[in-house]
Amino acid sequence: MRKGSLGRRINYVRAAYAWWIRMACYALSIVLLLLAWQAFGNSFGVLFVPFTTTMGRLWELIVDGPLLEALGVSGQLYGVTLTISIVLGVGLGLVLARMKLAAAAFEPYIYVLYATPTISLVPFVSVMFGFEFWSRVIVAVLISIFPILLGVLEGARSIPRGHLDVAASFGSTEGQLWRDVILPYITPYAMTGIKQSVALSMVGTLVAEFFLNPDGVAAVLLQGTTTLDSASVLAVTVFVAAIAVVLVGIGELIERYLVRWRFTAVG
Amino acid sequence: MAIYGSWIKDWRQHLFESGLVWPVLAGVVLLGIWEIYVRTQLPDFVATPTGILMALPSTISDYSFWSAALATFGAIVEGVAIGTVAGILVGVAMGRVPEINWFLSTYIRALYALPLIALVPIVILWVGYQPAARLTIVVISAFLPVAVTTADGTRAISNEYLDVGRIFGAKTYHVWFGIALPTALPHIVAGIELGFARGITNAIAVEVLASINGMGMTVFEKSAQLNENASLVFVLALAIFAVSIRSLMIRSRQWLAPWYRDR
Repeated sequence: MRKGSLGRRINYVRAAYAWWIRMACYALSIVLLLLAWQAFGNSFGVLFVPFTTTMGRLWELIVDGPLLEALGVSGQLYGVTLTISIVLGVGLGLVLARMKLAAAAFEPYIYVLYATPTISLVPFVSVMFGFEFWSRVIVAVLISIFPILLGVLEGARSIPRGHLDVAASFGSTEGQLWRDVILPYITPYAMTGIKQSVALSMVGTLVAEFFLNPDGVAAVLLQGTTTLDSASVLAVTVFVAAIAVVLVGIGELIERYLVRWRFTAVG
Repeated sequence: MAIYGSWIKDWRQHLFESGLVWPVLAGVVLLGIWEIYVRTQLPDFVATPTGILMALPSTISDYSFWSAALATFGAIVEGVAIGTVAGILVGVAMGRVPEINWFLSTYIRALYALPLIALVPIVILWVGYQPAARLTIVVISAFLPVAVTTADGTRAISNEYLDVGRIFGAKTYHVWFGIALPTALPHIVAGIELGFARGITNAIAVEVLASINGMGMTVFEKSAQLNENASLVFVLALAIFAVSIRSLMIRSRQWLAPWYRDR
């Protein structure tokens, strides 16, 4: 009896102050992590430096270190990779959806290429195309294009026959058909792929920079590893994590905006 | 002769009906273009399909192939197993107790968004230039997606199940492991699949960056010795491993959760 009433009281408190408990949990987790980091860092030696040292090193790297320049190099590769992945992925997906024969012929190979770890293909890309910018782009695009390509392909295939029939019976032209039926229909599929590609382009950028003559942010990371400079490595890793969270967040916001009917319909 | 002819006819019919004819044709054309392009345009050491075929017997009969395969695939399977168990436990706790979710989600979601390859240098620095670094990365690679998908799957249980459970006097662990976990099974399998995909990539990345013996390092090593054909045999083995894991995951989802249909 007492136990039941206690449990009920706890549940009441949890429901009544849900927002406060939530904020307290967020704050507590951040504070605890920083405290633990600081404490461990101070007692751990060179391989694990405290939070304050890491942030100080990050500041140094940004203000008069190589980080901003490296970020520019990596950002350029990232932008080109994501753009090519979107354009080529959506384009190829639509073409393959229209050309049933080509899709049937090439789809198994697309899946195999998708499943193959792209890092293992790096030596062959470098033999054929060298170590320069476009070679990096090829490696990065090979990592990031598939979710868009396969998503658009699946979306374009699943357009209900009825939609097309209705459009045809209302006498819509080819352009209207694309603008009013096909493109809106595949947008959610494409956005799901693009959202994944926003993250994967980052993976691709880093892989290309790690494994084809180190460059950009990856070069800064590698240099820190070879010189056992754990403060730099930790600082850049945290920095990359922050960028990743922001980029993925932006991707989600764009998806929510472009496919808002889906979210409002579900509620 | 007649029997032979009818056998060919049957076989041809079978090929058409199974829809295999176009992929096979496309494959032959692609391999042909590759062979001719490399032979006419590129230096001798670049891999060709016939070259790979010739290099196949000597490569896979070599001891180093099997030791590399055992090291890499063993580490991947072991790491994914550890990461999956840990991910399921943490994920169920996050899905069923909102406070735990709020406490952990900042880090788990941030790490989930982070390209894990960015963690490779710091892990190498902490664990050292040894196989344990590869195992660590694979464990993290599998833990994060499994924890996230398990949390999402166990959170979204319809109240009817919980009500029925309560009426029959289910304890907390009954709800967690008897109701929530089976409901989330398709999500969990999807998480494991993602974990394998990321684990394979990251295991290879660690091998190359830290020179740990395995498939990934051998691909780069053989390629650097201009032994591209042998190198591609290793790539093929990696691709076969990745594709089999994928189809194994799809099968196990059908087997574990036959009620669930993909999309």
